[in-house]
Amino acid sequence: MSLKNVAIVACGLAPFGVRKATWRELVQEASKSLFDDVQNLDKKDIDSLFVGAAMPERFAFQSHVAPLVAEQVGIVPHKVVTRTELACSSGQSAVRTAWASIVTGLSDIALCMGVEKMNMPNMLETQTSMACVLEREWDGVQGASAPPFFAMCAQRHMHKYGTTVEQMAMVSEKNHHFSTTNPYAQFQKEIPAEKVLGSPMIAPPLRLFDCSGITDGAAAVILTSEERAKEFTDTPTYIIGSGQCSMASNLANYKSLSTWHPLKIAAKEAYRSAKIGPMDLDFAELHDCFTISEIIEYEDAGFCEKGEGGKFIEEGQSNIGGKMPINTRGGLLGTGHPLGATGIGQIVEVMQQFRSTVPKERLVDGAEMAMTHNLSGAANVHSILVFGRSPT
Amino acid sequence: MTTIVLPYMLDFYPLQDEDNTRVHQFYASLREGKLTTTKCKNCGGLFWPPRVACPGCNSDQFEWVELPDEGELYAFTAMLLGAPLGMEKDVPFVLGMVLLDGTEFKVLSRIGNTKYEDCGIGMRVKLETYELEDGRVWFRFVPVD
Ligand SMILES: [Zn+2]
Repeated sequence: MSLKNVAIVACGLAPFGVRKATWRELVQEASKSLFDDVQNLDKKDIDSLFVGAAMPERFAFQSHVAPLVAEQVGIVPHKVVTRTELACSSGQSAVRTAWASIVTGLSDIALCMGVEKMNMPNMLETQTSMACVLEREWDGVQGASAPPFFAMCAQRHMHKYGTTVEQMAMVSEKNHHFSTTNPYAQFQKEIPAEKVLGSPMIAPPLRLFDCSGITDGAAAVILTSEERAKEFTDTPTYIIGSGQCSMASNLANYKSLSTWHPLKIAAKEAYRSAKIGPMDLDFAELHDCFTISEIIEYEDAGFCEKGEGGKFIEEGQSNIGGKMPINTRGGLLGTGHPLGATGIGQIVEVMQQFRSTVPKERLVDGAEMAMTHNLSGAANVHSILVFGRSPT
Repeated sequence: MTTIVLPYMLDFYPLQDEDNTRVHQFYASLREGKLTTTKCKNCGGLFWPPRVACPGCNSDQFEWVELPDEGELYAFTAMLLGAPLGMEKDVPFVLGMVLLDGTEFKVLSRIGNTKYEDCGIGMRVKLETYELEDGRVWFRFVPVD
C-alpha cells in the first residue's frame, strides 16, 4: 500500500470568547469562514467528517454530535463520520484521525470541525464538568481540577530548577501581547507581567492570568491528498510528521510533575517522522493552558536544556526574533481555550503564517516548518503534528 | 417537583457498595481506618487504585494489602477559586500529592487540619478517614503532630 502525503487546503474560525451564541451556531460560523476560504470545492466531494469536541454532553447537553455538524455545514459524509474526544486535544485528534484516513486512502476529502461551548449561565456547572477530565473517582473527588494540578507542576519546577513566578508572568505577557493582534482572540488587552503578578490567586503559585480562559469557539480545516490539494488552493500546508503518547492516568502513578515524559516521547517521534530536529522548526504552537505549561514544554519539546525554560522566556527566545517563536496567535492564554477548537485553531495559525496572511507584527517571515502541540487532561497525553510549506 | 436522592452521578464520590463495585472491600477497610489496595497473587504487582484484572500478567487473582498510613508531601497547592459543585463550602482547602512511605504512589488527597502557608514539600502527613453526610466513607491526610 502506498501512503499518501496529506495537505490542509482551507481553514476557518469562529471568534473565540464569551459568545452570545449556541454550540451549533459556532459550528455554522466556522463553516462559513471555512468555505469562504476554499475555491472549486463541491461540498458533495467531502466524503469524511471528524468532529473534535470534548464535552458537548456536559456543556451543551448534546451527544451524537457528528451528524449534527454534518447537517449544519451541509455535507453528506459517506466514507467516515465520527467524533474524536481527547479532552483538551480533541481538535488535534480530529485532524490526526482525518490525516490517517487520507494517508491510507480510505478518505479522499475530509472536513475537521473543532468546537466547544463552555460558558453557561451557571459557571459552577462548567467548573464541575472540568473536574471529570481528571480521573474523577480517585483524583477529581478530592476537589482537584486543572489549576491545582498545574499549580503543583509549577511548584515542583520552581523547587527543582529555580523557575520564578516572574518568569511565568512573562509567558502570559507575551501571549496576551500576541492576542492583541488577533481579532479572533478572547483577550484583546495587553497584560503586563506586573498585572499578572497582582491578579487574584487561583491555586498558588498560579494566579488568574497564569490560567487560560473559559471560552466558546470553533475552528475548521479541510484535508486532502497532495495530488488533489492544488485544485483547492495555491498554498497548501502539508502534514509532515506526528507523535503522540499517553502515560498514566491516576496522579499517584506519575513519574514526575516537572518533566513531562510523554511529551518527550511524542516529540521524539514527531521529529523522527518528519526527519528534522526541533530547531529546524521556524515556530511552534504549544499548549499554554497555564504559564508553567509553556515553560515545561520549551524544555521537553527540545527547544532548550532541561530546567532552562524560565531563562528561555526571560531572554525573549520564545518571542519573534528569538530562537523559537511560540504561540504567535496568542496561545491559549490570550486566545482562550475552547477545548475541542483549540487544536484546530493552532493549525489555522500555522496555515496563515505559511500564507503570510497574519498581521505583520506577528509574522514569522519566510517560515517553512512548524509544529502544533496539545496536552490533554493532567498533561498525561501529549499530541504533536509537524507541518511544512512543502510536502517533504 | 422531583427530589434528587443522593448518590446521583454528577456527584464526585464513588459508588461504594457491593451492588455497584467489585472493590467494595476497599471502602469497608477504609471504614475501619485502613488504606488498602490490591496486590496480584500471580506476579506480585501492586496497583493504585485497586484493580480486578492485572494489567501486568492478566491474572484476576488478587489479595488485599494494607498501604502505609503515613507519607510525605511531594507537592501541594490550595483551591481558592473554582471548586466543583458540592465542594464550594470547603474553600479554601489544601490539596497535595502524598508519597506513601516505602511505595512509589503519590496519592492525591485533601490535606486537612492545616493551611497552605503552613505546609512544605517533604512535610510528614498521616491518613485520616471520615464519613460523608450520606454515609459513604472517604479519606484525607493530615499533618503528623
Ligand atoms: Zn499480575
